Amino acid sequence: MYKLTLCLKYLVKRALAYFAMAAVALCVFLMLVCVSVLSGFVDKIEVAAKGLFGDIVISSASLSGLGEYDELIARIRKDVPEVQDASPFILTFGILQLPGNDFRRTVQLAGIRLPERARVSDFAKGLFIQQGLRNPTFDPCEPLILRRLGEDYERTFKILKRVAEAPLGGKLTPDRQALADRLFNATVFQDQAVENVRNAKETARRVAELQVQIQAADEAGEESKRDLLEGQKAAVERRMILPPGRRAILGLGIAGLSFRTPKGEIIRVIGAGQQIALSMIPLGRQFSYADITPVTRNFTVIDDCSTDVSSIDSEIVYVSFDTLQELCNMGAQRAAGDAGRIVEPARCSQIHVKLKDAPGLSRAESLRRVNDVARQVDAVWAIFQKTHPDAARSSVAVETWRQRQSLLISSLENQRTLMVIILGIISTVAILLIFVILYVIVVQKTRDIGVLKAVGASNLGVAGIFLTYGGAIGMIGSIIGTVGGCAFVWNINPIADWIANTTGFTPWNRETFMFEKIPDQVDFGTAIWIVCGAIIAGIFGALLPAMIAAMRQPVEALRYE
Amino acid sequence: MSSTAPAIEVHGLHKSYRLGRTHLHVLRGVSFTVEPKEFVAVVGASGSGKSTLLHLIGLLDRIDKGAIKLEGVDIAHLPQRKRNRTRCRDVGFVFQFYHLLPELSVLENTLLPAKVDESVLGWLSHRSARRRAAIEMLERVGLGERMKHRPKELSGGERQRVAIARALMNRPKFLLADEPTGNLDSRTGKQILQVLKTASRDIGQTVVMVTHDAAIAAAADRVLHLQDGKLTGK
Repeated sequence: MYKLTLCLKYLVKRALAYFAMAAVALCVFLMLVCVSVLSGFVDKIEVAAKGLFGDIVISSASLSGLGEYDELIARIRKDVPEVQDASPFILTFGILQLPGNDFRRTVQLAGIRLPERARVSDFAKGLFIQQGLRNPTFDPCEPLILRRLGEDYERTFKILKRVAEAPLGGKLTPDRQALADRLFNATVFQDQAVENVRNAKETARRVAELQVQIQAADEAGEESKRDLLEGQKAAVERRMILPPGRRAILGLGIAGLSFRTPKGEIIRVIGAGQQIALSMIPLGRQFSYADITPVTRNFTVIDDCSTDVSSIDSEIVYVSFDTLQELCNMGAQRAAGDAGRIVEPARCSQIHVKLKDAPGLSRAESLRRVNDVARQVDAVWAIFQKTHPDAARSSVAVETWRQRQSLLISSLENQRTLMVIILGIISTVAILLIFVILYVIVVQKTRDIGVLKAVGASNLGVAGIFLTYGGAIGMIGSIIGTVGGCAFVWNINPIADWIANTTGFTPWNRETFMFEKIPDQVDFGTAIWIVCGAIIAGIFGALLPAMIAAMRQPVEALRYE
Repeated sequence: MSSTAPAIEVHGLHKSYRLGRTHLHVLRGVSFTVEPKEFVAVVGASGSGKSTLLHLIGLLDRIDKGAIKLEGVDIAHLPQRKRNRTRCRDVGFVFQFYHLLPELSVLENTLLPAKVDESVLGWLSHRSARRRAAIEMLERVGLGERMKHRPKELSGGERQRVAIARALMNRPKFLLADEPTGNLDSRTGKQILQVLKTASRDIGQTVVMVTHDAAIAAAADRVLHLQDGKLTGK
């Protein structure tokens, strides 16, 4: 009983113990935050990779792509029962421009089939206009678009009011004024978008009218009138809502089309209801260098999509699969004069495969299952290729989401291991501190140790006081560190925003770290290991001083001065 | 332990220490007996081996040669576990410099031997009785009102009273006092001696007190004179 009493007394009365606890708490805090954030990255990559591309990706090494994909998908669904669905996908490079504006930006163009895409990925989850719809399309209903655009306009206007309110009649700071100007500009664009959608039928009718007038002017040989009408028509056409095949969904994060306030709010400047122009080089099927001629088409933005992966949201524009296939020269080619006989099948860049849900599987079991299914899909492809030699002109890879991201995942896992090793080394400082503090206490308490032995305490009992003391320092320090670490990780995004707002220093660069948000989930399995490690470290630090205390002869201890 | 044997039997006791290259022969064949409930004072000059003798009787140190029997039991061959238990239950020490634990209150210091004697579970079941006994002991030495005080808040005489209460806590058979009044003025010293005598008599203890003060030693039933590691008169 005396061990517990003295241990508690030393913990409460000895200020030195607080330093040791603080050191342990700091080490546990750092370890927990680093491991949780890095593990969170790996998890986010998993979720993002699976969410964006499905569990398995069949891809062609060449831009010429993969033919007979619908037949291949049907074969995979038939032969591999674990597969829930699959969808073709085209990925190419392009340039995004704003009609009547000198804005230009390189982007990636993704050709997707809707709503099929929503069945193999989490695409639908990140949509803005069609948020929550299970079957999103390139043709959402007008009232829905107007309602969501109206909500977004109101939100932007509220933010504008907040930013533009000068503190007690004073002037806005230059930064705040610039932000207010950008917000005002965004509301003008958003207002225009609402008008475009609301007046879609009227605009279409007006374009048709102008076309008739142009034709009449043309026939009458009135060139100047025709040119004037052409100009009017081009201006009206920019406000048109183009047909579903010519609509696009923007990644929410393309620089220049949206921006973020210092508080992290995303403001849409170009969104649903506005037109963009996309240019691309039809590389799908080329037979000589002279065949490469860029094509440009106008598209109406109909929605935007946030995947939480910054590198994707800032790069990708989604358009209809059939449209992109045609523009990339990947459509089916028919023989001239042979009544529609297909000589070249239509092609896609990739096929994304989604597996059926298998609840209750551990992470390792789930990975094993995906690998097994990937092997089965590969086997199906090997057989398919023999019967369809035109399906691919170059090699085709069947990869799991993890294999596709292996470089990134292994790099992050290596970073995590390295971080744990570095922090482990740093944590030895805490052990050393506990050792020094306990050694000092043992020296200071030498006579007390003699008294304890004089009243019958055993060597083991005396050692127990200091081992319990070290363990308690480790436990209390690790509890404080864990509570602090959890609170920090759970609030890491507001903290990062606060630092950015207060100091101007941005600790979290979305482009560098790929994701929109810093992972903010605590890895509790690791937390338990860290706490156990801290307690063991505390006991380890106390070991030598405890042994010194235990081996003290009572007479020597009593005579110690 | 046999109740018919002398309380303490010391025979041909030798003890030496090595101090660097010097070999210090502190006790050179000391022999004497102490009867049960007897109050014996050991008097001698500084360095004569008084404290060493007391430490050997109290099992705080190991003998080189000779024997010490407590109630007929030779302590030289006791296993460590039994030595610890004997120190805890059968021997009470009072030191010249009190040796109270500064983090503990007066009551907690007094309870220390009881806590050493009990496991956590044992303490939980006997806690009330042990506390009552400690409070009674403190009241007996005149510190009933100062139980929550820390040692640094007490005078020298009060601290020594706490040390006496602590030594008597487990009601040991032997009370070994090493210069209990050596650090006190003569008036306080006499009071402490009185407390020691009364308390030990009430419990029925055998007391061995070491002192260099002949006036203090005169209060004992018998005085042993130690000189250069040998007893010179009984």
